[in-house]
Amino acid sequence: MSEELTLKVKKMIIDSLRIEGTAPDDIDDDAPLFGDGLGLDSIDALQLVVAMEKEFGVVVPDAATGAKVFASVRTMAGHISENLK
Amino acid sequence: MNCWIFPGQPVSFTERVEHNGYFEEIARACRAMTGFDPLCPDSDGADITESVKLQLYGTVASLSCCAELRDKGEKPDTIACHSMGIYPALAASGSIDRQAALELTFSFGVALSSMRTKGEYALGCVTGMEEKRLAEIARKSGVFIANRNTSRHFLLAGEKAKIVAALEMSEASGAFSARIYPCDAPLHTPLLRETTQKLKMIASGHVFVEPNIPLFEPLTQNRLTAGRIPSFLVDEICRPVFWDRTYMFLKGIGVSEFTEIAFSPLLSKFNRWIDNEL
Repeated sequence: MSEELTLKVKKMIIDSLRIEGTAPDDIDDDAPLFGDGLGLDSIDALQLVVAMEKEFGVVVPDAATGAKVFASVRTMAGHISENLK
Repeated sequence: MNCWIFPGQPVSFTERVEHNGYFEEIARACRAMTGFDPLCPDSDGADITESVKLQLYGTVASLSCCAELRDKGEKPDTIACHSMGIYPALAASGSIDRQAALELTFSFGVALSSMRTKGEYALGCVTGMEEKRLAEIARKSGVFIANRNTSRHFLLAGEKAKIVAALEMSEASGAFSARIYPCDAPLHTPLLRETTQKLKMIASGHVFVEPNIPLFEPLTQNRLTAGRIPSFLVDEICRPVFWDRTYMFLKGIGVSEFTEIAFSPLLSKFNRWIDNEL
């Protein structure tokens, strides 16, 4: 998975969730996004679904899939790489 | 123009690990009045339900955030609220004091919890679905849309078995998520009409003065007056909340800055979603 894609994913997270005072470098590739990590919740998850579809054309159909895809930046980038058309 | 926005009941107590002096002071007042200690929410000091504890916790959290902001010299131009956020919102508007906000939260919560003797109820949080389809599912299942928060974030309320069925149908129909939450009573539905006499008596036992900061309610986006507050408190329990309409209304009257009066953002996330759709 390319560093370029990882950076794009981090920027997408920051922009779509309007996270202030956080730069892409501040987000660890493997840190959990939900719970103890960035502290995201189900509302954020849906926002990321929409952003991912808009930016990459990649769909996350339900919350169960979302739980796996949004585990970390690395898993998000992995899902995008696998499903990018 | 800025607006302080007060969310409704939180879904958990875990929203802030460290409590400050403002929270501690109001939590002590809550414990003295109700037996429930928001500083130790899991303790068994109060003979009240989990829902009432959460409602009190939300009010204490909002009142403490409010006190902290006031001490910093901040003041809202307008106030708005969602669901049970009305009680601390009334205090922030100057219509009642903190003690009355705690009393109202407690009394309404306890009165609503009496619904538990009539049946088992639940709330269902559905995201990612269009309202039209969800309304159809709600109708078929015999439950109600209690909150329309954005075009894709809804809360259902009703009998537990029917909520379970509605959530299964929602998932099968493409909802992104559908989660159930326990509750004492089906808030914001006509099923609560039978409790209104008790609620009217509680509301009539309080004195409401004219809010000195404009306070807008989330049902019809009207400005609350002292005379209308008692009936609104009863009415809002039986009618759905429309947060997206409220947010758009506030923007329409010139509000450009929103401050959520709570430990963690919820309404702000709905606002972000609504803004993204504009």
